Amino acid sequence: MKEIVKRFPGVVANDHVDFELRAGEVHGLLGENGAGKTTLMNVLYGIHRPDEGEIYIRGEKVSIGSPREAINLGIGMVHQHFKLVEPHTVLENVLLGLKEPAFILKLKDAGDKVLEISKRYELPIDPGARIWQLSMGERQRVEILKALYRGANILVLDEPTSVLTPPETKELFRFIAQMAREGRSVVFITHKLDEVMAASDRVTVLRAGRNVDTLHREQLDKSKLASMMVGREVLFTLHKSPVALGEPVLEMNQVTVMGDKGFPAVKNLTLAIRKGEIFGVAGIAGNGQRELTEAIAGMRPILSGQVRLCGKEIDSESISRRIEDGIAYIPEDRVGVAAPQGLTVAQDLVLRRYREKPFSSGLFLNQHEIDDNAETLIREFKIMVSGKDAPARTLSGGNLQKLILARELSGKPRLIVAVYPTRGLDVGATEYVRSLLLKQREAGAALLMVSEDLDEILSLSDRIAVMYGGEVVGTFPASEANVEEIGLMMGGSLRKTS
Amino acid sequence: MVFFVSLLAHTVQAGTPLLLGTVGEIYAERSGVLNLGVEGMMAMGALTAFTTSFYTGNIGLALAFAMAAGALVSLVHAFLSITMRANQIVSGLAITILGLGLSGFLGKPMIGMTAPHLASFPIPILAEIPIVGPIFFSQDVLVYASILLALVLWFVLFKTRFGLNARSVGENPAMADSLGLNVYLIRYVCVLLGGVTAGLAGAYLSLLYTPLWIEGMTAGKGWIVIALTIFATWNPLRALLGAYLFGGVIALQFRLQAIGIGTQAPQFLLMLPYLTTIVALVLISVEAVRRRMGVPAALGLPYVRGES
Amino acid sequence: MPVISLVLGFLSAAPLFLAVGVNPILAYRQVLGVFLNVDGLTESFTRGIPLLLASVGLCLPFKMNFWNIGAEGQLFMGAFGATAMVFLLPDSPAFVLLGSMMIAGFIFGGVWGLIPAYLKARLETNEVLTTLMLNFVAILWVDYLVYGPWRDPEGLGFPLTPMFPLNARLPWIPGTRIHAGLIIGLVCAGLVYVFLARTRWGYELKVTGESRLSAKYAGIDYVKLTLLVMFISGGLAGLAGMGLVSGIVLRLRHGISPGYGFSAIIIAWLARLNPLAVVPVSILFGGLLVAGDALQIGLGLAFATTSVFQALILLFVVGAEVLTRYKVALTWE
Repeated sequence: MKEIVKRFPGVVANDHVDFELRAGEVHGLLGENGAGKTTLMNVLYGIHRPDEGEIYIRGEKVSIGSPREAINLGIGMVHQHFKLVEPHTVLENVLLGLKEPAFILKLKDAGDKVLEISKRYELPIDPGARIWQLSMGERQRVEILKALYRGANILVLDEPTSVLTPPETKELFRFIAQMAREGRSVVFITHKLDEVMAASDRVTVLRAGRNVDTLHREQLDKSKLASMMVGREVLFTLHKSPVALGEPVLEMNQVTVMGDKGFPAVKNLTLAIRKGEIFGVAGIAGNGQRELTEAIAGMRPILSGQVRLCGKEIDSESISRRIEDGIAYIPEDRVGVAAPQGLTVAQDLVLRRYREKPFSSGLFLNQHEIDDNAETLIREFKIMVSGKDAPARTLSGGNLQKLILARELSGKPRLIVAVYPTRGLDVGATEYVRSLLLKQREAGAALLMVSEDLDEILSLSDRIAVMYGGEVVGTFPASEANVEEIGLMMGGSLRKTS
Repeated sequence: MVFFVSLLAHTVQAGTPLLLGTVGEIYAERSGVLNLGVEGMMAMGALTAFTTSFYTGNIGLALAFAMAAGALVSLVHAFLSITMRANQIVSGLAITILGLGLSGFLGKPMIGMTAPHLASFPIPILAEIPIVGPIFFSQDVLVYASILLALVLWFVLFKTRFGLNARSVGENPAMADSLGLNVYLIRYVCVLLGGVTAGLAGAYLSLLYTPLWIEGMTAGKGWIVIALTIFATWNPLRALLGAYLFGGVIALQFRLQAIGIGTQAPQFLLMLPYLTTIVALVLISVEAVRRRMGVPAALGLPYVRGES
Repeated sequence: MPVISLVLGFLSAAPLFLAVGVNPILAYRQVLGVFLNVDGLTESFTRGIPLLLASVGLCLPFKMNFWNIGAEGQLFMGAFGATAMVFLLPDSPAFVLLGSMMIAGFIFGGVWGLIPAYLKARLETNEVLTTLMLNFVAILWVDYLVYGPWRDPEGLGFPLTPMFPLNARLPWIPGTRIHAGLIIGLVCAGLVYVFLARTRWGYELKVTGESRLSAKYAGIDYVKLTLLVMFISGGLAGLAGMGLVSGIVLRLRHGISPGYGFSAIIIAWLARLNPLAVVPVSILFGGLLVAGDALQIGLGLAFATTSVFQALILLFVVGAEVLTRYKVALTWE
């Protein structure tokens, strides 16, 4: 792949990226979130069309317009989110989308072929099993079988081990090695340094849409990779006034939270956040951060462990109680969750607070108060909108986030949980949001902030934790932050507590 | 004994329109489109078949036109639900009201009249078998066709490419789309199939079941089809059993009334199809069962490419 | 916009009239005639009352995307409850009897609505299918009563109860058949409007209708909301049933409602779930029912003509609504 450029509104996901894959090679593609790894492979797989650049397969220039064309060229991809239909059987999923057989599905023949492939690569699977019956590891095997059934020579795996247990991971790499021995090529996208070190022949590191470098097996060094992946000067651009820390506001003790895929997304997690402290949670997305914040907010139940807010146990409290207790929650999904698009700005501005005194008395809502509140907040937070009665969907991304913050922060919360607060915002909005958070900190709130922007974490947080695999693998004051170490922690290769 | 045999024979006849309507509705719902318009489509089929038979005396033509009528009406529903992405419930109800209305409206002049009917077509030799003969093999062509249709459609649904595609589209249309399936086309075909079978079911009602044309030919059988679709967990083979079960209930309450056994009984018997369907619905809501034989996940939801 | 669709839908029936050999102009004149004379107009109001009550009730669950297709059954259960009161307290003074009939009608309809509400809230059971099925159970239950234990011994075997005594009859405007149900209906329309626009629950309904996740985020209790809303919705349909037996038909009989519960769905939809808009639309549909009678008597057309009009109007409105949505989406691009 040469000089691949892929742009999305507002961001250049791939910026003149060169990528080379040899036959019989296992090639690791390493990088943080947003580095452009998945986008690059999606271009290869025909899901996206590159804006610029060329692709050559075995020396011939090709244009890949759809996954079908990619498959015809021998490219197979196993995505992070499996493309499987749950009630169907394994065999049905394998056959889905194929051109042949066109009428009667020769299930017996297909089944035999699947079993043959499964045996050859030691990927045990029962073709008649239904997907919902299978574990995540088994489902991944189905995806791999799908690709192999279609004759994939180049296999791309996107974060394959995120859903696997350690023994399953070993099995996967054994399989990858086998593929390579046969002369096929495997690309695996990951953020895990250990894996990339152990399994790859070569590693390409992407950062911010660019290809940093490609290293050979012999040249591989963990620290080097980590700094390539994360590599930046630490920039302290915001002025943080020292704030006296108070008593702990949030305490989590050995908390385990179930994920959507049938296994715990957060494991035995313990942390504490104090008044006036910004606690930044770093880490590659998908390591339990979202589930953690959902558990604190009450959107997701806790399997075990205790959560205390200012000393009071809240793990079985309803969401409305938690709102009353003073927990502000700024979730990842702004449009679908935090600010329903069909409501007016005024209505969204009281979304979590409408039960409170001035906004409702008894059964009735005080429209007057709600309107006043809306006008005040629009002014205070400089939300650009035609009027308080404009539908929320007319707001731009930045203004929508301002709306959400305005609402959550105006209730004088004790704990603020913010997830990717500046994602997708322009520079101005980003600065503004960060300054708001800092102000809250000065006012004595405790903040838990999840962010994939390491700059942000480093400049805003008082203390930082790195999450990996559902656990906190490192906690330390921001002043002791070492970018390289953080990179290693994010890649799962280091544990540190202080 | 004679009572028994005639009861069962009647059961088969009562169950046939249900079976016909259900196997088509199964396809529509499996592909994700909720079709509440069955009652209206059946009414139109009944009207078309009767009118055609009345004016031409040609049963074959009558059946063909009934199927076309059903298809046409279902095309409206398909267009609104799939292309226009309108609310499927409202669209379906509109179709039912329209179908019932049109059928009553256009059929008014013919109330009380008769038209050439479907003759019974005993299968030689098999019809002679005691008991089983008169029940299953001395029926009319549509009865045999309906059973055949159920078997064929079952095969298609589970063993062919089209059936696999249809089922996938109803479970996860976004996934199916990304795999290259034409969600819209598949749904159109399935809904049209539902319309064709509903039309045929209606034709059965006016050409065999009821001796003369009355207003209200369908008598709620379309709603029973919807119930049966659920009861049969969207499986044509189970629909076969269920249709005769529900048909049996209808036949039984008819006979009991004729004999005069407790006029109390009939309504409760007639409630059974609906009550058991509710029970079935509750059972399939339980997570474990839901995955195995549950409601098609995308049922009733319009599909828009690009929306997640 | 909706008015245009209304007119278009109406006019699209013209070819059908031709098909049965009737001059469409004559037909339309008959229909308009209904609205242009006093008798026709008052009768439209009368026929519109049960539609009004049921449709107003439907505005609530529909707003939160709970598809209550069971208004017909809830209506029947309300009629049943009201009639039961007549059998229980035949000699009470009118206001006691009528009062208890209203309460019973509301409660019975409400409880019938609670069943599918509970199943959805607790088990996520598809409410379209459960409410639909329960319709027929209710209709059959009433059939059982009117063919059986409650049948009028002097009714020549027809499936109906004895006529209600005077104290079980809702007061009416002399010279017309418009009964107190109209006032109840208008009051309820107003109450539901206030409910939606001014109360906490109205707000919760809007949020839940947008997205259940948002509702959860906002701390809304989905179970409580669903149960409350369906109780009210079913209750209002039940009141419609009570109005039918106590204000117009004056007894309970087979087929007490010729599909009012289903028409109510259409009316609520046409009124865009605005309880105040429901009022004129229900009167209009009531008028269509009267027109159906007129066309039947005057031109020998089937009463089913009404259904044809209803359906055509609805189809045009649905089509128009989608077209405007398309236009909005396109201009927004």
